[in-house]
Amino acid sequence: MAYQVLSHAADAGIEATAESLPDLFDELLLATFELMSPNEAGTQADTTRTVEIRAETLEDLVVDTLSEFLFIAETEDQHFSWFRSEVDPEALVARIQAGSRPLRRDRASGAAIKAVTYHQLVVEQRDGEWFARVYFDV
Amino acid sequence: MTDLKRVGEVVWEIPPSGGMRVPGRIFASDALMEVVALGEAAQQVANVAHLPGIVDASFAMPDIHQGYGFPIGGVAATDVENDGVVSPGGVGFDICCGVRLLGSELTVEEFSRHRDAIMANLDARIPRGPGTGAIAPASLVPRVLSEGAAAAVEAGYGWPEDLERCEERGASAGADRSALSERAMARGRGQLGSLGAGNHFLEVQYVDEVVDPKAAEVYGLREGTVTVMIHTGSRGLGHQTCTDHLRRMGSAMARHGISVPDRQLACVPVRSAEGSAYMTALATASNFAWSNRHILAHAAREAFADALGISVRDTGMHLVFDVAHNLAKIERHSVGGVELELCVHRKGATRAFGPGHPALPEDLRAVGQPVLIPGSMGTSSWVLRGVVDNPAFDSAAHGAGRVMSRRQAKRERSGRDVAEDLRLEGVDVRPGSVALLSEEAPYAYKDVDEVVRVCDIARLAAPVARVRPLGVVKG
Repeated sequence: MAYQVLSHAADAGIEATAESLPDLFDELLLATFELMSPNEAGTQADTTRTVEIRAETLEDLVVDTLSEFLFIAETEDQHFSWFRSEVDPEALVARIQAGSRPLRRDRASGAAIKAVTYHQLVVEQRDGEWFARVYFDV
Repeated sequence: MTDLKRVGEVVWEIPPSGGMRVPGRIFASDALMEVVALGEAAQQVANVAHLPGIVDASFAMPDIHQGYGFPIGGVAATDVENDGVVSPGGVGFDICCGVRLLGSELTVEEFSRHRDAIMANLDARIPRGPGTGAIAPASLVPRVLSEGAAAAVEAGYGWPEDLERCEERGASAGADRSALSERAMARGRGQLGSLGAGNHFLEVQYVDEVVDPKAAEVYGLREGTVTVMIHTGSRGLGHQTCTDHLRRMGSAMARHGISVPDRQLACVPVRSAEGSAYMTALATASNFAWSNRHILAHAAREAFADALGISVRDTGMHLVFDVAHNLAKIERHSVGGVELELCVHRKGATRAFGPGHPALPEDLRAVGQPVLIPGSMGTSSWVLRGVVDNPAFDSAAHGAGRVMSRRQAKRERSGRDVAEDLRLEGVDVRPGSVALLSEEAPYAYKDVDEVVRVCDIARLAAPVARVRPLGVVKG
């Protein structure tokens, strides 16, 4: 698994690759939270929850999943540090177990992500691996 | 590579090609065009020209830079009667994000004597950063969604006369709080009266130079007096509302036979069930934004009053104007000599009504609407006025415009270095996060003076006064 942060004049994006679709979801989610709070990377979670998302397309499943965790993080002031995804690409269902802890505001040293965009969104298989590109509104 | 032709001193055109229904038109000088050429902004201007019902041109203001879907600084008007569309991407996630300016009779010298106390008060009283934390109670949210800033005034934030100096008097018509999702409400409950993060700020400034004394007098701006500028929007409530409707429109486009070059441009006819639902939600979320700035402005007045040992009224901190720069509104404009009902999208562009416009309060009608163009921390900001015969549906720039990505800006200098630079220039910075300060450093932005010069030459708006920063509370 790997991800890289994309340069953008006003906003921010990530590209991730993984051997499997569940790993890709894990990678995208981890990248999103590391982008927001790089100083929190690797911190221990004290709460575990499971979230299930359904969508009509794979692209929507990615956007909705990232949006859901941003929603939880904002309304509950949480930082997520680990994810274990199960993804059914036929039924378009993602079931994600995730660990979080309260966000320490003084550690919010990264991008303040407002939302997930559809701009140049890509979720596809490339050369036997799963690839995704997502831009955020910052 | 987008085909760009110079058609005027500061006007560049992208001729229609492919699915473009109208040309693209960018207002920029040579210096500003160098920045446009670096990214995808010009292509995004061309993409917007594909929107069904778009009339005249897909415009870009002088502070244009790359966005997502629409460019930042983009203006597009669609003909409502002829299946013209509304696009949530043409407004952005931060619905009704905008700028509010307070003027005062306080001099720079008086401010300097009380600077530490005033800045400490602002630092303590202005909630900022990601997540929850706000001035107003959650119980006020439903009322401001329905009634706008007037509900905030009734609850004790601000003065009744403030409403006369707000676009739409601080309340968008057609709001209905049942139009917002429960998720949007959940995000808004703990955020009414908060700056947020990113490029949002509250800045204490002083009037450095008046270039249009008549308009400055009407606006209540005198050289050497202190002003307060606030930049923020509808916070998570707006972000969620945009997310909700983008999703719905993405699915509905096929049903309406619409295709666009970028899904972030998802759109439906204004006169459709989905379009109507979005316009109602947009008005409702806008009411949160008008009220958010209203409540923050009152907190700023209280911070000054406490530090000066006077009443809030005695601060004399009057509202110059409050204007949005992320909005879509139904307005009437003449296109080719025919008056049309248009849905005008301004994505990072400021409404700029000229003298005589009936939507302006009587006291502003002689000189035109104040147009607020913030620079960056450490540089000047500008107050302009709307002019007649604006060539872009009464729109002007909304800021300096980024020239450098946030990542690159952070690599250039650390947040601590940027804070020290500003301190040496006499600007007292109170950041929500020191690490994030460098993302918004002056070197990450274009020259705001050049943006204003182009606005003037292109007759988008005329300069009135320049203000300079004394202290900044950063989101």
